[in-house]
Amino acid sequence: MKINKGTSKKTFLFLLSYFILWIILFEFILPVNQILPKPSIVFLSFSALWQFYKLPVNFITTISVVYFSLFAAYFIIYMFRNFLLKHNHIFTDFILSLNWFSKYVPGIIFGLFLIFWLPDSNYIGFIFAFSTSFFSMLIKLKEETINIKHEYVDAAKSLGADESVVRRKILWDASQPGLIKHLFELHFYIWSVLIVFEFINGGYGLGNIFRLALQYRDLSALFTNAIIIGVTIFLGSHVIRYIRNKFFHWSIF
Amino acid sequence: MSELNSVFEIKNISKFYTGAAGSKLHVLDEVSFKIEIIGQVGSIISVLAPFGSGTSTLLKIIAAIEEPTDGSVFINGALYSHASGKIAYIPELPSSFPWLNVKQNIEFVASLKSRGNIDVNKLISIVGLTGYEDHFPHEKSIGFRFRISLARALAVNPSLILLDDPFRGLHGETKKEIYSLLQNVKEKLKTNYLLTTTNITEAISLSDKILLMKNHPGKIFKEIIVNQNLISSGDREVFTSLRTEIESAYSAFEGTPLVSEVKYK
Repeated sequence: MKINKGTSKKTFLFLLSYFILWIILFEFILPVNQILPKPSIVFLSFSALWQFYKLPVNFITTISVVYFSLFAAYFIIYMFRNFLLKHNHIFTDFILSLNWFSKYVPGIIFGLFLIFWLPDSNYIGFIFAFSTSFFSMLIKLKEETINIKHEYVDAAKSLGADESVVRRKILWDASQPGLIKHLFELHFYIWSVLIVFEFINGGYGLGNIFRLALQYRDLSALFTNAIIIGVTIFLGSHVIRYIRNKFFHWSIF
Repeated sequence: MSELNSVFEIKNISKFYTGAAGSKLHVLDEVSFKIEIIGQVGSIISVLAPFGSGTSTLLKIIAAIEEPTDGSVFINGALYSHASGKIAYIPELPSSFPWLNVKQNIEFVASLKSRGNIDVNKLISIVGLTGYEDHFPHEKSIGFRFRISLARALAVNPSLILLDDPFRGLHGETKKEIYSLLQNVKEKLKTNYLLTTTNITEAISLSDKILLMKNHPGKIFKEIIVNQNLISSGDREVFTSLRTEIESAYSAFEGTPLVSEVKYK
């Protein structure tokens, strides 16, 4: 997942050109249009978002749900890693069936059922994001442990490691690069489905700002909200990348 | 006179695997041999076999990682279990843990309940990794990773180290590096190795004793004692006669081990 400096510099230059193009095109050449908002109006719309669309509370709600659910899912799997890996064979059919569902039934449909079952719950967003993260990580852990080279397990056993040590110190550790790589994809996926979920459900969250902005035909709020989400996902990805480089920097050979 | 420390007795080991369709694959057929570990002398014993003879399975059974279908492994007359730590096993691919650095890889052994204090720095120095304590194996060569695996195996203080085809797929320089590492450790610590190989040249160049094994199913059918003093002195005649003896011993069977021209000395 390494991006070389040349590529990232090129990407940055492209982004800068889009930004300049947007300013020139929509500030001076096409100031009134229904495609993209005028840059100066976007700048001013921050205050409208803050007050009218209740940006602080909606922003905090969404990022809390995304990051707390990802953290909680990983933490619970970590705490119960010995149990989960020990009873892998019991979970196998269950996990495989979940995997089957996740391939053919979009996760958001589960969200629709949750909205139906728990219409008044304040924690419905968290329940949805946590369940999606937890089962997704569980499926990934299963896949990773299947592919671990048996040489690691054999060597550990020959050194005197019992089954519990093998599960906690070999199978778990060896599965981490794959699991953390999956966290990158899951991070983006959870953001996407949660925005749609909040959009449908109403209540609090950045998805609800989209809902209101569409209701009021407010192009600048729509655009500003999208920029806020993009920047937050970008920063979130960098935090996950930092964690990976700091604690899970090795690769399986 | 040297003192006899341990006797490893591999007795009538047989192994069958059951295929998906219920078919039985006969991998090992009543494999039996004895290894006598003598106090002040290290040794290298090779199991020489063609590809696919079940040598990996045999080593795993000796290390008590895998159950035989029939037969047992005894140490000094008692049934072996890996908790006793008398045997350390290094799998075919160097199995140093990539998530731990050199020091942590060796400390892993100390973290196991049954292991006492381990002089990690001494082991690092023996395998020639002083100064690389905080390096991670995934950034390094196969030879480097093998050194870690060997240090970790030595941390158990075993009477016997099992090496599953340590030279397979390695290039000349790395082979020589691993070969001289094994010899150095053998001389310093009087270590005893049981290694498997598919290469006649390797077996003659390295071993004090060669166990010849045929395939389909794997069975040891002959033992050859090698005078390493003569081989080390570069006596081509001794080498050639051993090679001829081994080749003619295999002439009755289907598979034959390989011959390479790599010179180890």
